[in-house]
Amino acid sequence: MKNLKLLLVFFLAFFLITTLCFPAWGAKTIKIGVIGPMQFVQGKGHWNGAVMAAEEINAKGGVKVGDKMMKIELVKADSNEFLNVTDATNAMERLMSRDRVDFVIGGFRSEAVLAMQDIAMEYKKIFIGCGAAHNKLCTRVAEDYDTYKYFFRGTPINSSFLVRTSFIQMATVAGIMKAKLGIPKIRVAVVAEKAMWADPLIPACKGFIPKLGHEISGIWRPSPVATDVMAELSAIQRANTHIILTFFSSSVGIPFARQAGELKIPAALVGINVEAQKDGFWQATQGQGNYVMTLNTYNRDVEPTELTKPFIDKYVKRFGETPTYTANTYSVITYNIVPVIEMTGTLDADRLVKVMETREYLDAAGKTGYMKDDQGRHLHDLKWGPGYQTSIGTQWQDGKQVGVWPYKWKASKDAPEVTYKGVVPYKIAPWIAEAYKK
Amino acid sequence: MDLIRYYIRKFFKLIKTEVFVLPSRMIVLLFFLMLLALPLITDDPYSLRILILTSIFAIFAASWDLLSGFTGQMNFGHALFFGVGAYGAALLNLHFHIPPWASIPLGALAAVLAGLIIGIPCLRLRGTYLALTTLAFPIILMGIVFAIPEVTGGELGISGIDRLVRSRVAQYYITVIVMVVLVTVMWKITDSNIGIIFHAIREDEVAVRASGINTTRYKLMAFCLSGFFAGMAGGLYAHFMRIAGPSTLEVSMSFQVVIWAVFGGVVTIWGPVGAVFILFPLLEFFRFWPEYRMLLFAIVILLILLFMPQGLLVWIRDKIESECPRCKIRNVATRKNCRICDASMH
Amino acid sequence: MFADIIITSLINGSTYALLAIGFSLIFGVARIVNIAHTAFYMVAAFCIFFVTHHWGFHPIVGMLIAVPLVTLLGMVTYGIFIAPIREHEAAVLIGTIALAMALQEVMLLIFTGNYRSVPPLVQGYFTIIGVKVFYQQLITFVAALVILGALRLLLMKTRLGLAIRSTAQDREVANLMGMNESRVALYTVGISIALAGFTGAVIVPLTIVEPFMWLHPLIMMMAVVVLGGLGSIKGSFVAAYILGFAEAAVVFLIPMGAFLKGSVALSIMILVLLIRPEGLFGIVFEEER
Repeated sequence: MKNLKLLLVFFLAFFLITTLCFPAWGAKTIKIGVIGPMQFVQGKGHWNGAVMAAEEINAKGGVKVGDKMMKIELVKADSNEFLNVTDATNAMERLMSRDRVDFVIGGFRSEAVLAMQDIAMEYKKIFIGCGAAHNKLCTRVAEDYDTYKYFFRGTPINSSFLVRTSFIQMATVAGIMKAKLGIPKIRVAVVAEKAMWADPLIPACKGFIPKLGHEISGIWRPSPVATDVMAELSAIQRANTHIILTFFSSSVGIPFARQAGELKIPAALVGINVEAQKDGFWQATQGQGNYVMTLNTYNRDVEPTELTKPFIDKYVKRFGETPTYTANTYSVITYNIVPVIEMTGTLDADRLVKVMETREYLDAAGKTGYMKDDQGRHLHDLKWGPGYQTSIGTQWQDGKQVGVWPYKWKASKDAPEVTYKGVVPYKIAPWIAEAYKK
Repeated sequence: MDLIRYYIRKFFKLIKTEVFVLPSRMIVLLFFLMLLALPLITDDPYSLRILILTSIFAIFAASWDLLSGFTGQMNFGHALFFGVGAYGAALLNLHFHIPPWASIPLGALAAVLAGLIIGIPCLRLRGTYLALTTLAFPIILMGIVFAIPEVTGGELGISGIDRLVRSRVAQYYITVIVMVVLVTVMWKITDSNIGIIFHAIREDEVAVRASGINTTRYKLMAFCLSGFFAGMAGGLYAHFMRIAGPSTLEVSMSFQVVIWAVFGGVVTIWGPVGAVFILFPLLEFFRFWPEYRMLLFAIVILLILLFMPQGLLVWIRDKIESECPRCKIRNVATRKNCRICDASMH
Repeated sequence: MFADIIITSLINGSTYALLAIGFSLIFGVARIVNIAHTAFYMVAAFCIFFVTHHWGFHPIVGMLIAVPLVTLLGMVTYGIFIAPIREHEAAVLIGTIALAMALQEVMLLIFTGNYRSVPPLVQGYFTIIGVKVFYQQLITFVAALVILGALRLLLMKTRLGLAIRSTAQDREVANLMGMNESRVALYTVGISIALAGFTGAVIVPLTIVEPFMWLHPLIMMMAVVVLGGLGSIKGSFVAAYILGFAEAAVVFLIPMGAFLKGSVALSIMILVLLIRPEGLFGIVFEEER
């Protein structure tokens, strides 16, 4: 019995101690931590992009730091942020204190990234966010530069720019419908999932859409994980809507597109629909998500820059699917972190930050430059506009996703027309054309 | 001087007669000593972080046991108190700049209020009805949180809250000591008259009412006390993570605490505490197999339930200690005669 | 507008009714709160997805394969994990939660977290009093009525049904009367899980298939069962339509607040419980007070 008691105490102690004692690995490599929801497609994109980049660079011999060559070592961390924010912060802390990484890239869910950002800043390690669009992540940099200066946004462009781009895309579609179907006044239904990132969109829509000369037929806010949107769709149709401007980042994008297609609602879907960016969208909507248009970053045929096609081809060849925007980790490593290290010859975070924030470079999604706010403070946020990153617009046409924007787009009256290579004209769904060709 | 020596001698005698005699109390003592001594061995922030979170959740689990174990009011929405405590402390800290050592108790008081609000409708409900109704409350609160994002920060939660103290080690000590204090208080409550009444309410409420005790008052008290402790845990969590979000109100948080408590053994306060200290680091440990993590966790629980349905720690305790048939005092299981009344133990 | 609300509430209500009836049955007879009920519904959904997507059969075939498979799975897991600990209520609760989590994780491992879907049994829609309704939704509604009728037949006219009803009323006396109480419980579990599987087959074309799909229906199902009164199948049926109506009303009358529909339904449940603690048609036994 005494033995049992001893065994028990030993058992308890064992558990506490196993989590403590782990050997620190040797440090002749540059360690980059990749943190994301690895069980989901976003995290897989983080990891795949990073792996591709690391392997390429290591195959060439590594990174030249000063006068020696160092290889890149990737550390995978599953943040599980969709299910548990505590897990995400634990994972980040582990990367920092146990694995002692030099850089961290990744992150997706804004609530989790805000918490993870704090941890990385505490340890003064450069954290490049590859997935969360919330403005606050970068306004923090401006407000408290000394603490947050190690954070940069890698992708996507921030929420305000995303919205502006979707307005532009909507205006383009409205123009096409007006011209081809002869509709005098276009009515737009705004459907934004009930989530914080979408809240500021509503007043923005109310202000902006009338300015373009269109009418708002109504505003709907379904739950981000709603599976049945018949109610919204019937009401939208009853309001004589021509265009449905969607703002979906979560699963509601699938049933909405599917049911709109099944019911043959005579309105064009345009806007942001993250589910529609994925290859699996066609199956998920049983093929009913045809002619759905969404803002996107990568498409197999569209080339914002000359670095895009090589990247996408390599990615598709290796992983069998189009990269999501989180796979931008590839560009972050290949065109940002590594060149800056080689330029400065050091791994010192402060010196690297100084170089990064003023540097502009070309990568697979566009040209990356970092902006300042209107008070001139550094935001470390991505610049938007022709010549920089604008993202693209893609539409599902008969089972294939094609790029339809920018197609002869003028950013302002005197600006030159912009059309990316590989973009094709937008198609209006036949049942919509039917409904209005009276 | 003599007085101090007297008290020291008394203290040692107390330990010798009360603590050293029973292996379970020895284990508890060793456990606390190890917890307190840990930062001397290692100052790895990751391990300290895990233990801080474990301590916070231990308070949370013990508070559930106070309500649902002792009083028998199965509460499937315990995350409500946790969330209210977290959001309360966060809002007070952010908007009114109240320092953490005050905002946490005040947040806990907000949770007490929540306890009252949900305790009143639950007075007339029994068993499964109560369980399922309490499940609904955190969901309703989450809906409200999403409905007024200007105040609550919507799904981003409230961020930028002060931390307790600058250094990780100091945080660790504060959290562990607070946990020890709160758990001891909870345990003392269950050991007192109030605790006996709680236990009696669980066993047979009609009999308690027939004895002239106002069960309504005691049931509400149970909700409020449980809410207070859970709210303290919530406030500590908010200040440690520096963010208070809707993840504190999730159904999975409510389920987690029930799993911990039942795994460790209900109707004890130390059962859930021990369970959290075993399961939470275990879950982190399973990080090596990220795909199988939750599956392994679920299987562990199913197996333990199969073989030790009373709870793991209760089963362990029953193996190493047994009760004397005559005087009902606990003894080490290896003894032949009771240490108090000298009766044969078999 | 009102036509919309009525039609939508009928359809939503049928969905909840199908789920709640099975749950209520298990609770009434075996006194088990089977939190894994909707998890089995999810497993059935994935089976059908697998059959239709990977083997290319019509969903009916998927249904015919999925329902017996899920029933078998349910009865086996019940026998191994739940039956031995039936006496400890708290342990049963946790056990079913852990079982549901385990099923979720297994689905996550096999199918990954991507969103999938299943083709409907009958494609297309029709219009009734100005409201568009999918044929699949009509099937759901009809199925709910058919199932209720079939269950009533089973419970009232067959010997097994008699055994189930008497075990539900008083377990010990039923045992004394010679009915093998644990065997009856096993059969009830089988019927209940078969119902869950069948529900999956019928509802799944209308929703998204993913490993976490069991959580939301679980909450609504429990609300329905509590509102209707535990142990009363008629109660669950009625409560399902009441809550379906509440949800539909919220979505149509407050379009900006569509996400609140869950909270509103739950609040209604709580309000009713304040007035009538056993739910609308609940049966409370004296010894359980």
